[in-house]
Amino acid sequence: MKRHYHVVAISIRIVLNNFGDYNRDGMMYVLKENEQKVKELVRKNPFSPVSLVEPLCIRANVGDEVEVLFENQIHYATGMHFQEADYNVLNSDGANVGLNPSSLAETGEKILYTLKVNHEGVYMFSDLGDPDSSDEGTNINGMFGCLFVEPRGSWWTDPVTGGPLNSGVYADVHHPFLPSYREYAFIFHDEMPTKDVTGNRPLNPETNQERESTHAINYRYEPMENRARLLEEGVVCPDCEGEEVHHDSWVFGDPATPILRGYRGDPVKFRLVNAGVKETHAFHYHVHQWSKDPKNTESEILDAQAVSPQSWYTVQPHYGLGSLQGAFGDAILHCHLYPHFGVGMWGLNRIFDTLQDGSQCYPNGEPIAQLQPLPDRPCPPMPTKEKPGFPNFIPGKLGCKAPRPPLGIVGGRDMTKLEKNAAIPNPRPGSVFADACAIAENPVVQEFNVSLIQLPIVYNRQGWNDPIGRIYVLDEDREDVLSGKKEPEPLVLHMTANSCVRINFTNCLPEVAAGNAFQLVTRAYEASFHVHFVKFDVLASDGSNVGWNYDSSVLSGETIRYEYFADVELKAWFFHDHLFPGFHQQHGVFGTGVVHPRFSSFLDSKTGEEVDHGVQITAVHPLIPDYRDMVLMVHDFALLFDKDGCPLQPPEFPSSQDDPGLFGVNYKNEPLQFRLGKDKDPAYSFSSFVHGDPITPILHSYEGDPIRIRLLQGAQEESHSFNVHGLRWKAEYPDSETKLRDQQHISISESFTLQMDVPRAGDYLWTFETEEDLWNGLWGLIRAFDEEVDFLIPLPDRQCPPKRTKALPEPTGKAPAKAEVVTSPGPVNAPVKSFNIVAFHTPIIYSNWGERDPFGIVFALEEDVEEILNGKNPEPLIIRANQGDVVEINLTSRLERGEFPYPDGIWKYPPVKEQAFYPPSLRISLHAQLLDYDVKTSAGETVGFNPDQTVAPGDVVTYKWYVDNPVGACGLWDMADIRNHRSLGTYGAFIAEPKGTVYLDPFSGEEVETGANVVLRNPFLLDTREFVLVMYDGARLVDRKGNLIIDPVDGILGGVDPEDSDDLVDTYDNGSRGFNYRTERLINRLLKYPELKDLFSSKVFGDPSTPLFEAYPGDPITIRLVNPSERRRSHTFHIHGHYWNNDDKDISSEVRSIEGEIVTGHTVDLPLHYGAGSLYNYPGDYMYRSGNIRWDIEQGMWGIIRVHASKEKHLLELKNNNED
Amino acid sequence: MSQEKANTEWEYPTVNVLHDQALVEEFIEGIGKNIFIMTPSFPYIFIGKLVEVIEDQAVVDVKVTTISELENRQWYVHIHQIEVFYIQQKGQPRIPELRDDY
Repeated sequence: MKRHYHVVAISIRIVLNNFGDYNRDGMMYVLKENEQKVKELVRKNPFSPVSLVEPLCIRANVGDEVEVLFENQIHYATGMHFQEADYNVLNSDGANVGLNPSSLAETGEKILYTLKVNHEGVYMFSDLGDPDSSDEGTNINGMFGCLFVEPRGSWWTDPVTGGPLNSGVYADVHHPFLPSYREYAFIFHDEMPTKDVTGNRPLNPETNQERESTHAINYRYEPMENRARLLEEGVVCPDCEGEEVHHDSWVFGDPATPILRGYRGDPVKFRLVNAGVKETHAFHYHVHQWSKDPKNTESEILDAQAVSPQSWYTVQPHYGLGSLQGAFGDAILHCHLYPHFGVGMWGLNRIFDTLQDGSQCYPNGEPIAQLQPLPDRPCPPMPTKEKPGFPNFIPGKLGCKAPRPPLGIVGGRDMTKLEKNAAIPNPRPGSVFADACAIAENPVVQEFNVSLIQLPIVYNRQGWNDPIGRIYVLDEDREDVLSGKKEPEPLVLHMTANSCVRINFTNCLPEVAAGNAFQLVTRAYEASFHVHFVKFDVLASDGSNVGWNYDSSVLSGETIRYEYFADVELKAWFFHDHLFPGFHQQHGVFGTGVVHPRFSSFLDSKTGEEVDHGVQITAVHPLIPDYRDMVLMVHDFALLFDKDGCPLQPPEFPSSQDDPGLFGVNYKNEPLQFRLGKDKDPAYSFSSFVHGDPITPILHSYEGDPIRIRLLQGAQEESHSFNVHGLRWKAEYPDSETKLRDQQHISISESFTLQMDVPRAGDYLWTFETEEDLWNGLWGLIRAFDEEVDFLIPLPDRQCPPKRTKALPEPTGKAPAKAEVVTSPGPVNAPVKSFNIVAFHTPIIYSNWGERDPFGIVFALEEDVEEILNGKNPEPLIIRANQGDVVEINLTSRLERGEFPYPDGIWKYPPVKEQAFYPPSLRISLHAQLLDYDVKTSAGETVGFNPDQTVAPGDVVTYKWYVDNPVGACGLWDMADIRNHRSLGTYGAFIAEPKGTVYLDPFSGEEVETGANVVLRNPFLLDTREFVLVMYDGARLVDRKGNLIIDPVDGILGGVDPEDSDDLVDTYDNGSRGFNYRTERLINRLLKYPELKDLFSSKVFGDPSTPLFEAYPGDPITIRLVNPSERRRSHTFHIHGHYWNNDDKDISSEVRSIEGEIVTGHTVDLPLHYGAGSLYNYPGDYMYRSGNIRWDIEQGMWGIIRVHASKEKHLLELKNNNED
Repeated sequence: MSQEKANTEWEYPTVNVLHDQALVEEFIEGIGKNIFIMTPSFPYIFIGKLVEVIEDQAVVDVKVTTISELENRQWYVHIHQIEVFYIQQKGQPRIPELRDDY
């Protein structure tokens, strides 16, 4: 079917909420039929939101051809670039890339884009005519929208009228034989320039400083600061503080942000999109869970999802609205990053239990708009006086905080008559209106008495401490923790699936806290226990205060019972407070419950006694293999003081959300600055011989034990990158057809179970590996013993370890020796592939614009060193071997003192928090991801009690890696000195190819040893072009004149408002970036020829300095992407006009054209569907790039894949293309 | 051709039929005993008493499966869909007793 949309890009004032916060210079896409209407409405309503001012959402079905006539009324050239679609790149790319003709529209002009939409999902579109990241840019001001592609044969209606719908963020989608569903567009975006109703920059009434930058959904946000002003003025709820009622509709009425309406049980698809320019947001949806990949029934189950700029997910909650337990009420959806949540990035999912025909009102008299029931579902009952339905049976009082739920609070109230009418047959504390524990017949009941307490917590041996640490403890441990007998650690409860969990929660916090360099005095007087994943009654046990629900928290000294059902989903469920989390979650107010398989029992790993809580336990089961279980909870914004009481990394003013404080994992950290030793050599920072074991968690196991790591993030705003060196796990926990990973991006509230075996004895490093995290102490060990120890019971279903014959190693204060023998885990007759690799100093020219790193350190094959030293511009070392090969690496260091940019030992740029003396190491190492090796000899790092695996100048260290699996892209990097080496280029890639593959130069056809661009030839596979992209950030470059480039600020096309310059970027935004030691910063191009629309054009500027990959139409292509560098800001990767399976090992996985959440250690293999030019083999220039407008694209993170229309002399054709 | 046709018309059972029937016999002999079954499809595991065999269906009084909602009822399990089974015999290991309230 052919569909046609006429879309206009217009400038428009966007009012973001009912308080009149607005963006004067907003821009949006709108259907032509609505253009005049929306302009007129905005003219008439300058201070209130206009419903038609919303991101344009249009729809089509799989298989459709969609024509978009784009008309540009912006005062410079703009366009619409569609992700996911098939199109002719020469006329429908919505960009002006390489040698293609421009497919942007000049002001006042129109252009026709023709798209074929061949898979379901979100085809986000945005402008690429102006890639400026500054406040003047198009994307930041609203130029984005979505084409939703529905199953073939679908149609859609307006959820209110039931009539036809041409565009809109909400639709009811119907199908001849599939269930109807409600479709909600939930489009995050950030940094939109915003003024308050008076035309000034919005202030935070608490701090009297500017409030956080705008974080919005569908052009709306509902900041706490606006609502708090009404409290301050005594308009409503004068005894309230602020944060605890931020989401309370009883106090303020409904927010301006999306209220997604449906009936209990309605099937739903959220189209979760991040159209923002900068942040990786963390979507969390109360009460509901979904499969990470909706196409894969075995996929991991989530209830929180990180989403990077210009990327998307389809969130299809299991069991429909209200989940399995049939809950109803308001389920809040929000970005879990607290500063974003606090500034208004939240909305409500309103689940009605009665029919809304337009005749009802909310308690404040606002009419409830009509809502069509889905045609294939039973019609909800009409509201009656006795049973008015949600929210009208709740005995709240307007302008006052929501009432507490009945029954739950010890000594609290009974139900009113209306509540009784709405209740389940056997209401009880914690389950009043939905009965989750009735899902099973007589489930086991597990009861925990939990208190939230305040106490000082010491994070490390140097005495860094949080004087007002706040943690959950079991009541029976409370005295021991307070008296110091037990170390404070996050509360981890253990239970089996099929349990009814009851929590008796007591708030033991003082009513008032803080008043220090980090935070103003705050009356955080009520608290709760809000849970993820498990099933519960949202009205009684959500532990929050949202919408027209109850406030299910308690005051200081009170106790409330919550009830949940832990069904089959074996995840660690996150819990935290939902009343004042912005104030105190980073003080430690988080924990987790781990749902183990049914019939498991839990033992203390040391004594073997049964336990029901603890960070590290042994789980045993009659049928499945027993395992060690460890929880790691990472957090940032740890508000710590040093031992003398001086604040560490205090914000500029108290209660600022601008990245205060440091980091912790399970309330501990082990900063590298304290692990220099006498020799002051960073190479031994991880060595327990030199410094003893870290204070951070060490998971104990025996050789061969299965382990499960429960990875969670407790607080507060930032992405982290968890890596385990020398181990790996299946990416999607329940699914065996999934790729192997050894790294996981995590943001607050996400929970991952990483299941693996520890193959050999030794010390394995786990780390949150971005530079700032690792520097500040987020690392620890997994220690596998080869012989019995008296502090670890053997797993009952495994052979007992041999009796101890040698003493356990002890710290000596001295660097360990090298391993005497290096063996490989591969078979003795495996082919051995040797690489002699040298690390040495050499300048790297990063671009044709003269940008370079004069202090570069690279890895290269020994035979290539001379050529590089003679002036050949180096590329990152990319080596390959095949499945079944043993790889022998002989590594030499030629590093010299005096060749480093900061010889005084303090690395200044790019910076990290808590700068300290840490002089450059001349030793080097090479750590490889995902391969099989003995960590005692070949992990490429000196960790724990393992032998030395770094190498001094002039010496050689040997590693042996076994390629047991064709895992594809693996990052390589140095671990000898993460501060002084990485920014200079000490990384590369290893590609594990299928057995029998040879690697050919694409131009000469000769076999090659290294290189980013090769042709893979394998007797059983098609000839395939392999393009390797080493995405890097944190580089330290100088310009042609030798001046240090301070990226991203120096590269911002529109410049920086002086008022913003102080706090525009975070530490981890700093540094230059691109691919493969190359960058193409747009600022150079703009300064040469100041036309935004031509910035990507090779006709104007020649081809970019970044890798230009070439192919012929239809050539099979696999992209190998690694990110071995260092910064914490997550990136997105997108290729124009192409798409691939989300998981290259699972052919039924979702098809996408973007890869998000890319941060240190990320690896991905992207076999492009249909090869070069995608399905229709269109020739032309296809941009590959980051999705981050802030601050990647303009800083040079982009390049071109050129698909030639005809044979080129220099580029050999693949054999597949020969007719014979 | 005619020879091949003649071969297919033999009335002796094929090896597959013999193999399938042997499995069914094994189940018939196990009637009244405790059985453990794993199948590739949901709910994957059944533990209970083998009550009866009807043609190639095992009737199992299931005491334990992966989720409690599907327990304490008779399941008809197609014998040839079973990937792993164990019928408890005297003198052989006992099927573990699985209880929620460990």
